[in-house]
Amino acid sequence: MSDALQLSLREVAGALRERKLSPVELTRMSLERIAADEPKLNAFVRVTADRAMAAARQAEREILAGQWRGELHGVPVAVKDLYDMAGLPTTCSSKVRHDHVAAVDSACVARLEQAGAVIVGKTHTHEFAYGIVTPTTGNPWNTAHIPGGSSGGSGATVAARGCFMAMGTDTGGSIRIPAAVCGTVGLKPTYGRVSRFGIASLSWSLDHAGPLTRTVGDAAVTLAALAGYDSRDPGSADMPVGDYLAELDLGVKGLRIGVPRNYFFDHIDPEVERDVRDAIARLKAEGAEIVDVEIPMADRIMSVEFGLCMPEASAYHQAMLRQRRDLYEEDVRTFLETGEMIPATDYIAALRLRTQMQAAWKRMFDGLDAVIGPAVPSPATRRDQLAVKWPDGTEEPVAPLFIRLSAPANVIGLPSIAVPCGFTASGLPTSFQAIGRPFHEARIMRIARAYERTADWSSRAPKL
Amino acid sequence: MSQRRHPSDPALLEAAARLANLPLSRERAAQLVPAMDGVFQMLDALDQGALGETAPAFAFRARWEA
Repeated sequence: MSDALQLSLREVAGALRERKLSPVELTRMSLERIAADEPKLNAFVRVTADRAMAAARQAEREILAGQWRGELHGVPVAVKDLYDMAGLPTTCSSKVRHDHVAAVDSACVARLEQAGAVIVGKTHTHEFAYGIVTPTTGNPWNTAHIPGGSSGGSGATVAARGCFMAMGTDTGGSIRIPAAVCGTVGLKPTYGRVSRFGIASLSWSLDHAGPLTRTVGDAAVTLAALAGYDSRDPGSADMPVGDYLAELDLGVKGLRIGVPRNYFFDHIDPEVERDVRDAIARLKAEGAEIVDVEIPMADRIMSVEFGLCMPEASAYHQAMLRQRRDLYEEDVRTFLETGEMIPATDYIAALRLRTQMQAAWKRMFDGLDAVIGPAVPSPATRRDQLAVKWPDGTEEPVAPLFIRLSAPANVIGLPSIAVPCGFTASGLPTSFQAIGRPFHEARIMRIARAYERTADWSSRAPKL
Repeated sequence: MSQRRHPSDPALLEAAARLANLPLSRERAAQLVPAMDGVFQMLDALDQGALGETAPAFAFRARWEA
């Protein structure tokens, strides 16, 4: 099975279960692909080849003995280098953390390994997840462009067929942004749905953990392995875990989807808008009811996002910034120093406004299954590009540009999935996002899957 | 209540940093001025609506767990 790396996670899981493919053979292929692509992509901080091969051999023994654990068993995956793996450094792609070695596994790593997944390495992040560029790494569709961030290494390797799933974290869009610009699916679950125990924090009140995958079904399988209450994470939700596969293929007939008339389509690249509108039309043709919605309090979403994130990040880094300030990259150091000088009353005002926004979004969602809009306003920008110039002459720096459409789901804590929906004339991916009701991940994945069945972008692979 | 804050004076930033117990040279403070102005322009929008009796979106559980 020479083209096994082209399969989706669910497809390769079927081949492993039926013993048409060996986890050892598959892991070797994954490691070889990563080694071949790294000179161009640099998606990995560390490749854990020995640990991966040992896990693959164990998976092989178990599957041959009839002890198949599920669809992640024997499948090569990766985790962002914010996730602790016992005995390995968690560098957060930073010189500041070069000597930090994890004592125990993060909750997600433990759950993935319990499910039999084979972790092939730790992927690059924008330093400490504080940015959307991931400057270490190239976009596999055009390495002169950014892979997005902060989970840029995860987006790059999943798109490039290095592995079948890679974990990201999302504080203002850091799963969905790299997913969108690398052409993968990216799922940010509801706040509290997946434990963040053992993941380096950017902002405790906004951080989420979730997967980047090639298909919607792959994201559903991964979430099923990850979801659940964990008392070690103070934000973890003690809520029942749904069946994320049960309604996946039920289609959208009878579902009600809101399309924003404000905010989400302001200052959007025309090719992105074209593809997102086409996706909405396809969902309508599949039987969804499409209704206009007004995004409430849209002019203050970014104020709340940054009003929460910056002071929390500066608090997390308070000691390190004083001990190792010269080891930080300039952009992150500037954010951290600036965040130190935000008054506590501004931070509390952001928390209070968040309460109001949550109530307003609940009212907006009355009778809706999801809200759909672009995942990001622009295709991947060039690695040396600082801003995007819009047709009306305004210039927008890339960081707020890429965050502004993903931040609402962080501020409100709602699940959101980024789904590939086309390519620009220059060959860069475009993406829409579906935002759902709290803990209704199954519903947004059903919508995403209904679209995916009409337009199979996941079978298109970048040529490196 | 809102009045735009422009902490564009490096001396003001240096003083604020001292209150935060963050060592910051005058030169470094001057470098941070554009970033601070941008951040405070964004944060000023937090004052645009009445917050009234709205409680902050804290997460805290008093329950003891193993």
